[in-house]
Amino acid sequence: MALKDLQEWLYGCTHCGTCKDVLNIFSPACPAGEKYQLESYFPSGKMLIARGVANGVLNLDDDDTRERIYACTGCLSCEQQCGVYHHQHIFETVQALRSEAVTQGNLNPAYMVMVESLKKDDNVFGKAKAERGDWAKDLKIKDAAKEKTDVVYHAGCMLSFDPELWEIPRSAIKLLEAAGIDAGIMGAEESCCGGRAYEIGYDGEFTKYAEHFIETFNSLGAGKVITSCSDGYSTFKKLYPKMNIEMKFDTLHTAEYLDVLIKDKKLKFTKKVPLKVTYHDPCHLGRHLGESGIYDSPRNVLKSIPGIELVEMERNRENAWCCGAGAGVSQANPDFALWTANERLKEAQSTGATALVTSCPWCVRNFRDAVKKYGENIEIYDIAEIACKAL
Amino acid sequence: MIEAVKSRLIDQLDKIVGSQFVSTNPADLYIYSYDLTFAESHSPDIVVLPQSVEEVQAILKLANQEKIPVIPYIAGGNVGGLTIPLNGGISLDLKRMNNIIEVSEADMYALVEPGVTFGQMKAFLNKNHPTLKYTYAFSPPSTGVIANAIVQGLDNLSFRYGAASHWVTGLEVALATGELVRIGSCAASKTWQAIAPFPELDGLFLGWQGATGVITKMAVSLWPNPPYNTALTYMPMDLEGANEILQSIIRTRIPDDLIGTSFTLNKAGVAAYEHRKMDLYPAVKREGEEPEFVITAELTGNNEKELNAKAEAIGEAVDAKCQSYKFTGPETMPSTTAAFPMQALGVLSSGGGLMWVGTYGPMSRWLETVKKGCELQDKYDITRTCYTRIMNEGHFVGLRWMLPYDKGDPALVERIKDLCAEQLELVLETGYIPYKTPVWAVRKLEEKVSPDWLKLHRRIKAALDPNNIMNPGRWGMPRE
Ligand SMILES: Cc1cc2nc3c(=O)[nH]c(=O)nc-3n(C[C@H](O)[C@H](O)[C@H](O)COP(=O)(O)OP(=O)(O)OC[C@H]3O[C@@H](n4cnc5c(N)ncnc54)[C@H](O)[C@@H]3O)c2cc1C
Ligand code: SF4
Ligand code: SF4
Repeated sequence: MALKDLQEWLYGCTHCGTCKDVLNIFSPACPAGEKYQLESYFPSGKMLIARGVANGVLNLDDDDTRERIYACTGCLSCEQQCGVYHHQHIFETVQALRSEAVTQGNLNPAYMVMVESLKKDDNVFGKAKAERGDWAKDLKIKDAAKEKTDVVYHAGCMLSFDPELWEIPRSAIKLLEAAGIDAGIMGAEESCCGGRAYEIGYDGEFTKYAEHFIETFNSLGAGKVITSCSDGYSTFKKLYPKMNIEMKFDTLHTAEYLDVLIKDKKLKFTKKVPLKVTYHDPCHLGRHLGESGIYDSPRNVLKSIPGIELVEMERNRENAWCCGAGAGVSQANPDFALWTANERLKEAQSTGATALVTSCPWCVRNFRDAVKKYGENIEIYDIAEIACKAL
Repeated sequence: MIEAVKSRLIDQLDKIVGSQFVSTNPADLYIYSYDLTFAESHSPDIVVLPQSVEEVQAILKLANQEKIPVIPYIAGGNVGGLTIPLNGGISLDLKRMNNIIEVSEADMYALVEPGVTFGQMKAFLNKNHPTLKYTYAFSPPSTGVIANAIVQGLDNLSFRYGAASHWVTGLEVALATGELVRIGSCAASKTWQAIAPFPELDGLFLGWQGATGVITKMAVSLWPNPPYNTALTYMPMDLEGANEILQSIIRTRIPDDLIGTSFTLNKAGVAAYEHRKMDLYPAVKREGEEPEFVITAELTGNNEKELNAKAEAIGEAVDAKCQSYKFTGPETMPSTTAAFPMQALGVLSSGGGLMWVGTYGPMSRWLETVKKGCELQDKYDITRTCYTRIMNEGHFVGLRWMLPYDKGDPALVERIKDLCAEQLELVLETGYIPYKTPVWAVRKLEEKVSPDWLKLHRRIKAALDPNNIMNPGRWGMPRE
C-alpha cells in the first residue's frame, strides 16, 4: 500500500493518546512508545509522521525519522485501542512509510542483509537453503514435495533454521503422528512465506513469495497446511487472500489443529504435566486476525493437559502486550525487542506462573533471549512442546 | 536558536537526562509543534524528557542561564494550543515522571507526579483503594491529572467541588530559576492535606498554563466512592426549558455532576458508542419531535434507598418548577461516571481536529449565551454541539461548543475559525471567560481588563520568571 492510497486516513488521528494504554485497564499498550517515550514513537506519532511526509514537511532520508518508523513491532495493539475510524489503518500506514522509504532507496542496512538472503536462499536468516529441512533429518516423515499427504506441516524460516527451537516442529510432528494424521513436510523445498518482507516494506519480494507459495501448495493437492508459526499463519490467512489467487488448501495453526484433534478424540493426553503456566497470545495469532483471532484453541489445549494450571496475565487476548519480535524489530533493533519481551516476562511472573506458553517461534525465541539477558526466572514453551510432554 | 548555543545546550541536556531522552529529530519537533486546534504551529528546538525533580531543576537552571523558553508538556490535549512553543525552545515532556507517590486513605488525598494520567489514577485507585475515587474529565485517559488542575478543569465531581484547581491540597514547584518550593501544609509537615491556613500561593501557579514554574508534585483530594450510582436524564424541547430544569436541579444540591448537551451532539455520541459513523457535516438538524437538549444528573448513594430518595427529590423539584415547559424525563440510565470519551472520539475528532470556545461564566446569563452561541453555529451551518457543566453547586458554569473538524479541509478550518472568533466576541459580551485560554483569546481578554490588572499580572510573571522562559507569550507577557 502506498502512502497516497491512505490519504483518507492521514488526518484521522487526533493525537488523543488513547492508544497509549489498554482500554479500561490503562496498562501500557504500545511497546515502541513505552520504550522510547517520545511522542514520535507512539502510534499517533507515526500517523503524524505519515502526515508530515505526505505534506512534504518531513523526509524519509533522515535516519532518525526512519528509525521511528521501524521501531514498531506491528503488534496492532494501537488498532485495538483506538476508537477513531482510521484505527484499522495504523500499521498499514507504518508499512506504507516503510515501503515509501524502500522505493526512495532509503534502505535500512539490517534489512538489506535479510532481503539479500531471501533472494538468494529463500529465508530471512542468511542460511543455506539446503539446510532448511535439517530439523527433521532423523524423523521418519513423508516428503510432501514427492508424495501426496493429507496434511503438509510448514515449519517456516524461524523453526527451520534455529536448532535451539527444533524441539517445536519435532513436537508438532510427534503430536500429528500420535493422532494418526497423514502428514508430510517440504524439507529443503520449503520457502519463506514472505510475511517479513511485506512488514518491512519490500512489497515486491512479498508478492513473489506469495505467488510461489500458493501455486506450489495448490499443486500438491494436500487439503491442509499446518504451521506452528503465527507470523506465517497470519500471512496465509490475511495477506495471501489479497493476491486474488485461488487457494485450494486450508491453513490451520498447530494450536487450532490440536484443539480439533482433542475434540475429535484423536489426540489424548495421558501424562501429568504439573506446571502453573500463563499463556501469551502472539499478535499474529490474535489481533492480526481481527474477529477470527485464535484465543480459545491454545487455552483449550492447555486445559486438556493433566496437571496444568492456567493463570491469565492482566493484558491478555486482544489486549496482550507484544513479545517484541515482530515486523523486523528483532533483526534490526534487538535492544528494543528484548526490552519489550522482558516487560511481558515481568507481567507473566507477577501471575505466579513458573512457565510462559505461547504459539509462535518468534515469541519463543525472543522470550528465551530476554530471559538470558535480563534473568527473569521463568521457563518458555511453545504449545506443541508442552502438549508433547503429556503424550 | 543559534546553532552554537543549541549544540552546547544539547550537550548539557544529554548529561542531565541521557541522550536518548533529548531529541532534535524533525519528526519530534513537528509533532510537538501543534495540537488538535487550529492554533498556528511553532516548532520547539529541542524536546527533553526528564524523569526526576532534580533533572527538571537542572534543566530550568540551564534554560534560565541561556534564556531559552521551556514549555511543560504532558499529553498536549488541552484544546487550547497551550503546549505550542510560541518562541521555540525546549518542549519539556514530563510523561516519564509518572509515580503515584502516596495515597492517604485517612486524609483522602493522592500525591502524584506530573506524568500521572487520568487512566493511570483510575486504574490505581480501582486496584488499591477501591473505596476512594478521583474525579475525571471527559478528556482522553492519557491526559494529565496535574495538567488538568493547572488548567482549572471541569470534571465529573465539579458540581460538588468546582474547578480542578479547587481540590489541590499541596504543590511542589520548580521555579524558572531552578529553586524548589513547597506550598501548603507540605511546606511545614509531612502530610499534604491542605493549602490553608498558609497564604494561598498555589494561585501563583494554578491557571497559569506553565508560565510561572514547573509543578513537580501535586496533592489532590480524593473522595469516598459510594457503591450505588445512577444517572437521570431530562430532554427539554427548548433551551428555556433546559435552563429551568438545570436551575431546579441546582437548588436540590443533590447531584455529583450535572451536565447538558445539545441533542444533536448527544445523538452523535451515542452513534459513536455503538460504532456507527455519524458525520456532523453538513450540519445535523433536529428532526420532528426530537428535543433540543439532554440534561444528565449523576447521582451516588451509600445504599439503594439513598439513591432512590435522591432521584425522587430531583423529580419533585423539576416537576414543581418546570410545568410550563415541554420535556421528557426523568429517565434512569446507567451512570457513565468516569467513562472516558474513547469510543466517542470518532465523532469528536475523526478528522484530526477538535476546537472549542470553552468558557466559565455566570448561570444568570447561561440561557442568553447558549442561545446565541447555538444560533451562531446555525449561521455557519455547523451542527449544534453545546456542552455545559454546572460547577460548584451552580455558582458558575462551564460552557463550550465542541467543534470536531477535518484538519485536511482548509475551507472548513476557515469556517471553524470564523465561528470561534464570533463566539469569542459573544461570550466576552455575556461575561463568560474563555478557559484553558488560547493565546488569541488571552490577547482579547487583555484588551478588556484594566491596565492595573495587566501590570499586576506582568509584575507577578516577572518576579517568578525574570527571564521570561516559562511558556512565554501567554499569560503575563505577550509574544515578543
Ligand atoms: C476530547 C477531549 C475532551 C476534553 N474534555 C475535558 C473536560 O471534560 N474537562 C476538562 O477539564 N478538560 C477537558 N479536555 C482538555 C484537556 O485534555 C484536559 O484538561 C487535560 O487534563 C489536559 O491534560 P494534558 O496532559 O493534555 O495537558 P497538556 O496539554 O500537556 O498541558 C496543559 C497545560 O499545562 C501546562 N503544564 C502541564 N504540566 C505542567 C507542569 N507540571 N507544570 C507546569 N505547567 C504544566 C502545559 O504547559 C499547558 O499549558 C478535553 C480534551 C479533549 C481532547
Ligand atoms: S491513533 Fe487513535 S487512539 Fe491513538 S492518538 Fe490517534 S486517534 Fe487517538
Ligand atoms: S503496532 Fe504496536 S508497536 Fe506499532 S505503533 Fe501500534 S502499538 Fe505501537
